[in-house]
Amino acid sequence: MKTSLLATDARTKKRNAAEARFKAYGLSAIVAAMLALAILLTSVLTNGLSSFQQTFITLPIELLEERVDKKGNRDPAEMAKTTTIGYAPLLRGAMAAEVERQGLTTELSDKDLGDMISKEAAATVRNRVLANPDLVGQTVTFDLLAAGRIDGYFKGRVTLETAALDGNTSPEALSIAQALADAGVIETKFNWNFFIAPDASVQRPEAAGLGVAILGSLYMMLVVLFLALPIGVASSIYLEEFAPKNRITDIIEVNISNLAAVPSIVYGILGLAIFINFMEFNQSSPLVGGLVLTLMTLPTIIISTRAALKSVPPSIRDAALGVGASKMQSVFHHVLPLAAPGILTGTIIGLAQALGETAPLLLIGMVAFVREYPAAYTPEAGLFGEASTALPVQVFNWTQRSDPAFVERASGAIITLLVFLLIMNAVAIYLRRRFERRW
Amino acid sequence: MEDMTHADRIMSTQHDSKISAKGVQVYYGDNHAIKDVDVEIDDKTVTAFIGPSGCGKSTFLRCINRMNDTIDVARVTGDIRIDGEDIYDPKVDPVQLRAKVGMVFQKPNPFPKSIYDNVAYGPKIHGLARNKADLDEIVEKSLRKAALWTEAKDRLESPGTGLSGGQQQRLCIARAIATAPEVLLMDEPCSALDPIATAQVEELIDELRQSFSVVIVTHSMQQAARVSQKTAFFHLGNLVEYDDTDKIFTNPQDPRTESYISGRIG
Repeated sequence: MKTSLLATDARTKKRNAAEARFKAYGLSAIVAAMLALAILLTSVLTNGLSSFQQTFITLPIELLEERVDKKGNRDPAEMAKTTTIGYAPLLRGAMAAEVERQGLTTELSDKDLGDMISKEAAATVRNRVLANPDLVGQTVTFDLLAAGRIDGYFKGRVTLETAALDGNTSPEALSIAQALADAGVIETKFNWNFFIAPDASVQRPEAAGLGVAILGSLYMMLVVLFLALPIGVASSIYLEEFAPKNRITDIIEVNISNLAAVPSIVYGILGLAIFINFMEFNQSSPLVGGLVLTLMTLPTIIISTRAALKSVPPSIRDAALGVGASKMQSVFHHVLPLAAPGILTGTIIGLAQALGETAPLLLIGMVAFVREYPAAYTPEAGLFGEASTALPVQVFNWTQRSDPAFVERASGAIITLLVFLLIMNAVAIYLRRRFERRW
Repeated sequence: MEDMTHADRIMSTQHDSKISAKGVQVYYGDNHAIKDVDVEIDDKTVTAFIGPSGCGKSTFLRCINRMNDTIDVARVTGDIRIDGEDIYDPKVDPVQLRAKVGMVFQKPNPFPKSIYDNVAYGPKIHGLARNKADLDEIVEKSLRKAALWTEAKDRLESPGTGLSGGQQQRLCIARAIATAPEVLLMDEPCSALDPIATAQVEELIDELRQSFSVVIVTHSMQQAARVSQKTAFFHLGNLVEYDDTDKIFTNPQDPRTESYISGRIG
């Protein structure tokens, strides 16, 4: 029977239907993935964006000499004997005076009013006075952190209803805060502190920042970059271009592939045993963290570098050898430049993976609560040896704390981490484009 | 010293052949790819290697500049001499040898660099140019010899990979002759080219004969007949017959040669 091209036969119909179905599966998979991503980003952003804002109270504080400098000789060593507890009455008084100046009446005690200011504020004032003893006796205007609950009120986390059930604040305090905000005494500003300040204790979420974590992560990335990249690339070049193909190289190859699949926490145990127990580096230090992450990242870099080297056509090697280039010249003049985009991409993906890694760091003590910038973050003390923390570990740390204000902090830290990852990926793409332009 | 060796070379070409191979065997692992090949290749001639696919002609060609060294499983025994010097002597550095024995590959493989850099690379790594002017001269001379100068002179800085297939192959020839080799090996240089580009390259090969000893592997018997003075017929790893090209194509001595050139085997 003669068939017409205008009529689709049953077989073709079936084939087309199968193709359409397959496309639909693919499309729905993409939609599901995008949806998951959207949900993730929305939840992180709604919880975390508020951490980039912080509520401040502007107060003129009279730095009474009898409180601050009991001996009256402006000697910082003597003045340091007055602890933050000694400063608390000054803040309390200033707060009460401000409320009165605004013409507000309240049943709250001076202590309750003082509690509207962060516990961190006394330290802020004290540090400023110790740094500049001439301020004693004057009235100085300070921008002080508001307490976590007051901050939460302006961010919508704390309401009059929840405050009624809360031992740490009261509806009266919130209405005073609202009145002060209307008068411009309480303001919400961009929170630079979040990126600069070190971590703070459970009682003062408003003061907690990512400064030490960012620095710790940065130092670890430097260690990883300067160890993993040269070691990884050099070993890949050797294995791919120079090593004889025999049993030993086969075994090495299989082992590298296996190492890439080893759970990262195992590297943490290894790091604990070797770098801390045996080599006795400081625990929690970016040096140890960086070394552990280097071990973890090496297989990734080696595998991607070897793939990049393999993808360089052999005709290029032949061409170079054919004009009398040595093996090394053919690799460094021709093969490596062509493989560079792939190597860079692999390295940055490895670094990004290392940046977000938490598990091995927990084992080497980077989960430590670091209240102060490590003293050794000064050039002369050696940058990498002091206790520090890292971005993902800081997230882990904050999510374990009871105060709901830390949910906001943790989400803010996740956003910061994601931004760093995005920047690294953007750099990878930029570098790849740039190197590829050299045909 | 330089003059001495040059004089010797001239002497030797008068008496001996440029390349002389005796009892060459090549193994790829267990595969015996070249079986006991003896051949004498003359200077300033084009010698063609013909034969069916897998007969070992390319393998033998790659022995002459020791490109087989790069293959782990390849093993070469026997004796190959260029100007009387054993190229498989342990004292010979294959890198130095390859500067003396240039090679053009089957598929045009210019470096992904500019036309200028492609040609200048060999002279640069061998230190053949003292300064930029020297290098410019070498590049121009090589491109002229490869009949690419007129097409390429205004775009020396553009990528070599942007040229057409035939131009790329001529660029590869220019690159090979830029290191001033004495022997030029060509492994099916026209197999990836269209007839017009092939004709250009063939014409070029004929000119190159003035300066080099050219050895060309080809699948095309017409090409062998057109460009070569001597032809060697390989079959199953054996050198079956080696003689003047005219003789091979008009009066082959071996029945296998006869059946190959008349199209019955291959």
